[in-house]
Amino acid sequence: MIGQVLGHYRVTAKIGEGGMGVVYRAFDETLHRDVALKVVKKDARPDAQANQNLLHEARASSSLSHPNICTIYEVAETEGELYIVMELVEGKTLRAMTGTVGLPPESVLRYGTQIAAALARAHDKGIVHRDLKSANIVVNSSGLVKVLDFGLAKRAGGAILEGPTQSFVSTQDVSTISGTLHYMAPEILRGEPADNRSDLWALGIVLYEAAAGQLPFVGRTGFELSSSIMREIPKPLGPPVPPGLWAVIQRCLSKEPADRYQRASEIQAALEAVQWGAVVSANPGADQGGVRTMVLHGVKHARVKRGDFLLLVGTTKGAFILRSTAQRSRWEVGGPYFHGHSVYAMAYDCRAGRRRIWASTQNYWGTLLRFSDDFGKSWTNPQESPIRFPSDTGVSLKNIWQITLGRSEEPDVLYCGVEPAALFESRDAGETWSLVRGLFDHPHRPRWMPGNGGLALHTIVLDPSDNQRMYIAISSGGVYRTNDGGQTWTAQNRGIRAMFLPNKNPEFGQCIHKIAMHPAHPERLFLQNHWGLYRSDDYGENWKDIANGVPSDFGFAIVVHPRNPEWVYIIPVESDEFRCSCDGRLRVYRTRNGGASWEPLARGLPQKLAYETVLRDALTTDSFDPAGIYFGTRSGQLFGSRDEGRTWQKILDGLPSIACVRTACVVEASSDAAATPPQAPPMDFSRGKSRTSRSKSRQTTKRR
Amino acid sequence: MPVTFHIPGALRQFTDGRRTVQLENSPKLVAEALSALYTLHPGVRDRIITEQGQIRDHINIFVGDENIRYTGGLATPIPPNSEISIVPAVSGG
Repeated sequence: MIGQVLGHYRVTAKIGEGGMGVVYRAFDETLHRDVALKVVKKDARPDAQANQNLLHEARASSSLSHPNICTIYEVAETEGELYIVMELVEGKTLRAMTGTVGLPPESVLRYGTQIAAALARAHDKGIVHRDLKSANIVVNSSGLVKVLDFGLAKRAGGAILEGPTQSFVSTQDVSTISGTLHYMAPEILRGEPADNRSDLWALGIVLYEAAAGQLPFVGRTGFELSSSIMREIPKPLGPPVPPGLWAVIQRCLSKEPADRYQRASEIQAALEAVQWGAVVSANPGADQGGVRTMVLHGVKHARVKRGDFLLLVGTTKGAFILRSTAQRSRWEVGGPYFHGHSVYAMAYDCRAGRRRIWASTQNYWGTLLRFSDDFGKSWTNPQESPIRFPSDTGVSLKNIWQITLGRSEEPDVLYCGVEPAALFESRDAGETWSLVRGLFDHPHRPRWMPGNGGLALHTIVLDPSDNQRMYIAISSGGVYRTNDGGQTWTAQNRGIRAMFLPNKNPEFGQCIHKIAMHPAHPERLFLQNHWGLYRSDDYGENWKDIANGVPSDFGFAIVVHPRNPEWVYIIPVESDEFRCSCDGRLRVYRTRNGGASWEPLARGLPQKLAYETVLRDALTTDSFDPAGIYFGTRSGQLFGSRDEGRTWQKILDGLPSIACVRTACVVEASSDAAATPPQAPPMDFSRGKSRTSRSKSRQTTKRR
Repeated sequence: MPVTFHIPGALRQFTDGRRTVQLENSPKLVAEALSALYTLHPGVRDRIITEQGQIRDHINIFVGDENIRYTGGLATPIPPNSEISIVPAVSGG
């Protein structure tokens, strides 16, 4: 072949050979440039249909233009020889560079982001690589990555064709099988079609291989290897591989495509985030400067110990941590944390043995999500916000309104609802975050309108019985539900009024203030609207008015009793113009029959000149029996009830305006704590307390 | 000609406690000067600008006594020996 001319290409040297064909260096005599020319073997295109398929795929791939993709210039057939003309990429394959010890993490991240960028572009164009592997990735002397052979591995004539090699899933000696099988996703081995996510699996293998110098799944035979891919968990990668990179690889290598990243751009963003973190930790000066962690001096800390009960209080001027025992009668106050920052969202994560307090902080220097693993003594202070909108959105983060933990069986999953309205997801315990594109790209989004507090996604409700179903609420956008883990979303607002619009019953655009669900009844939702109190019994398909006997159906907060799904608590305010408790009397309303009727709960609450507002996240419950109910007001008063709302005590006043209140039970950071939510106190104590509370409540009832 | 940044207290945790940061090179525009500052002290970047590269709403940058909002924004030219101040706006409640 050397010296021959195919079309206007003069073949000058052989570069390599694989199952698909031989690759030559050639000179384009028309454009006077060197190119790579792949002459496709005849047995790789056994019939005319296979020929056509290959031509079609190659032509589609030739439309790809990206700095990290090897460009296909032309596909042609001359005298029975089918050949593909492509950009000549000079450099080393990632396979050759990796060796057996792996590359430094910085290099893995640098190359990984470029590979992810290439995949993102191809997937956007509807092209799946199908044969991504380290031998198909070339790095030039400047560190620029080029991914080769896009779309050329399309099934042709039933065989799986791929770049320089060819493979079949078989039980023969693995040494005779090409490397391709090592990169094959479980769903392909099951005989399911490859999609974008199969490429993301392969990227996970490439990253693992590059970081460790060895493949995550091995076997002596094809059968053993396939079995390993489908069943085994790869050996964890420890230092020097940063935990964030390992988390990205793990997610790429989820056996089920739905559990992986859904887009290459998410991986790119995640790797970029880790890249930043890796750079920071590689710089000892930065760590010495306390940049990553902020220790607060001169702030009083609560001395938290096992068995304690905590109230986490976010205000417009900082956060407070209140500590008590299970009796919940005397309180030690820690804080204020983050002087002058608004803390709209807090959460306590005790999954997987953690004892982690999350807080979102906002001031004129920006919005950050932080956590403390020592009950407030030190907080993370990331140099770069881990929650950030991708550059193509043109949108900037204003505030984080909600931090929601994933289901107990997903201990590393977290969600954040933010302003402007969007949902972010983390699958590595908050290390990296990605924008949930399915919601962000919803065609309704341009027509959502900001409410008084901004355009916020403030509520996230997960269905505990179905890990694909969740709800979010937006002011003013409405309720949206996904049944496929966030890929697609539908507006679920039938029956909810929008009093501020000409059409009072629009498909979307309602100003929802909060929705609540009891885990035992995932089909049932309660909703406090901007005017309107509703209930749905069919997963949000239809809503009916349940404002039966409340002084106002305007309000912000709504919570369900921790055990009794029929019991719901609200705090009505007078109107949208005068957002204060009705008649100057601060009263919580409770239903014990799912909204058929409501009763006021006022004992211990101020009933004169109490013009108070309780915001949407400032009402909460604990998990004791009887349950505690807590709320904070915009005037900085914090109230609690240890008897399910019958009687109330003022816990604290003089705080800044309260935006959120959350509860936490501190259990031992052990493996036992991982699978269980905050525990109720020991039974003997609980019984004793229950008797006390019940006898008190009987007296209260008599006096009424 | 060096350019000097005045760092506000809230950002000194990211500049190793330094109140001023002097750039050795001679940036011509505010955008170039800020880029150089971010390279030296990456933590200040997200505090000054959004992820889309815009100066945060309540942060003001002054070249000398002039707020760059009125002199061309990030494209404001920097005269030699300039002093650049980063100042949070008077706002909030």
